[in-house]
Order: sequence, then structure tokens, then C-alpha cells
Amino acid sequence: MKKFNIEMGVGLFMVIGILCLAYISIRMGKLEIMGGNTYDIKAVFSNSGGIKTGSSVVIAGVDVGRVKEISLSEYQANIVLTIPVEIKIQEDAIASVKTKGLIGEKYIDITPGGSEEILKPGDRLRETQPAIDMEQLISNFVFGKI
Amino acid sequence: MSACLVFLLSSFFSSPVWAGELIDKVKETTDKIIAIVSNPEMKKAEKAAERKRLIREAIDERFDWDEMAKRTLARHWAGRSDAEKKEFVALFGKLLERTYLDKVEGYSGEKVNYEDETIDGQYGTVKVGIITTQDKSISVFYRLKKIGSDWFVYDISIEGVSLINNYRNQFNSIITKSSFQNLMERLKSNVEEGK
Repeated sequence: MKKFNIEMGVGLFMVIGILCLAYISIRMGKLEIMGGNTYDIKAVFSNSGGIKTGSSVVIAGVDVGRVKEISLSEYQANIVLTIPVEIKIQEDAIASVKTKGLIGEKYIDITPGGSEEILKPGDRLRETQPAIDMEQLISNFVFGKI
Repeated sequence: MSACLVFLLSSFFSSPVWAGELIDKVKETTDKIIAIVSNPEMKKAEKAAERKRLIREAIDERFDWDEMAKRTLARHWAGRSDAEKKEFVALFGKLLERTYLDKVEGYSGEKVNYEDETIDGQYGTVKVGIITTQDKSISVFYRLKKIGSDWFVYDISIEGVSLINNYRNQFNSIITKSSFQNLMERLKSNVEEGK
């Protein structure tokens, strides 16, 4: 009876451990297991600044979505953003690639617009601003002086 | 001989001048403004007011001030009365005039290359490269919207920085911190200062 209790305890401990591991890997990997409460919109950038799948999509500094997919088409970056259904993005909203601090990670910042037209799943966000190339700006400033 | 022919043909087909409907529209306005600012007669001090008026007229023909003002106020636009909207559009136009007219008037023979245009339904962009006198290229994107049968500019991005986004963020932060009335007062004093 006593041996059985110990075995049960160890088994239970193992199960809880595995569940914890699964939870952590889902959280860390930013995986979506509960699909359906988000929608995707597309945006084309002339320079994505090296943004990665899983990067944050931010509105007013609040993390609201993720970068789902990045591909190259006609030498431009096609980016798919996943946004929760309760957040409406207007047709004239502007998406820009920004950097946290000077050398921090890249994220996409959306400035809400004022249009009555709301983007539907699969629509394209037309207004985009590419990543600002600090190196290029500094070199323009340095060499522009000559 | 054949190499020479290929070279001639390729140089014939890769003409650097890219013409299209939108490029023509932007070029027409730019050429008008360049003609005004490079006219020696217009450079005289007593002609300053007339020069400003002519430049403003040329810009008015191609820029959709209502659309620009609406986009900069963004979500604060819908709650405004018609009178407030009208006053804001006029003030915003004056603010841009004050900010950019000095820069336009400082024109000193920079070249303008019309590089590309794209049309996507009612919207289009024109890519322009401005070659400074130090041979540096500044990339400028004009965003246009089709209204009726004509195209009007509603945003300009210089080196990837959008004019609308810049003012949208500034106006939003002023309205959120204080009020729309406060924004109008600040705009008025800013425009008055420049007179």
C-alpha cells in the first residue's frame, strides 16, 4: 500500500512536470494553439530592417499581436501580422518598423487611423513606413558635409 | 558588331526616364514650382508675397488638404463639428506652408529623378529621387488617391519618414494630454509666429 502511494506520487509529479514544460514551451515559442480568435492582415515594406517571425506588433506601446510570416516579393518585404479579433485596424492606419532603443529588437508599430473602413482578414495595410537605417542616416550626415 | 548592336538596343530600351500617369501629375506640379523659384524676376524681395502665393496655388492644385487633415487627426476627426474640421484644415494647410515653403524657396538647382510609380486601385505611389548639389540622393515617396478622374497627393515620405504619421503622433499626444482646443491654440500661435 505504501509502495503504491510512492509510485502514484512520483507519477503525478512527472505528469505535472511534463505539463509545466509544455506550458513553458508554448509561452516561450509564442505558439498559437487556440486559433480562431485572431485574424491576419498583410503589409508590404520596402525595408523590413531584419524583423523576425514572432516579433511584436504594438499599438500605443501595448503589445497586441505578432509577425506571423515574412517573405520576399519583387524585392520588397511581405509581412503577415496576426491581430486579436477585438482590435480593429482602420484602412488608413500606418504600420512602421521600429527599434526598441538604439540597438534593441525590431517591432511593428501601428498608428491607428480615422477611416470608417476597417480592415478585414486577409486585407492589406497600405500605409507603411520602412525601418530607418541609422547607419545610412549617419553616413549621409557625415559624408553629406563634404 | 553584334555586341555593339546589343549595347545600342539595351541602351535604347533602358531609358532612365520613366513616364506614367501619376509621374506626369507629380512632375507637372514640381516643374511649376521649380519654374517659380528659379525665375530671377520672382527672387526679388518685393515679389516675396506673390512668389509665396504662386507656390501655394501650384501645391493646392495637387494636394488634397481635406484628406491630409483627416488622416493626421485620425480617430479624433470623427468627433469634430463641421466648423472645427474646416478651421483645422485651413490651419493645417498654413502649418505645412510655413514649415515647407522656406525649404522650397531654398531651391538651388537640385535635380529630380522620377523613378517609379505603382497603382493599386484608387491608390498610387510615385518614387522620386532628389539629387542634391553634393550628389546625394534623397528618396521621396508621394502617395496619391484618385478622386473622380484626377489624382491628389495625401502623404509624402522623405527617407522613409511619413509626414502624416509624424503629425498624427504629435497631434494625438497633444489631444490625449490636453484637448482639441489646446491643439488648435498651439497651431494658431505656431502659424502666427511664422508670419
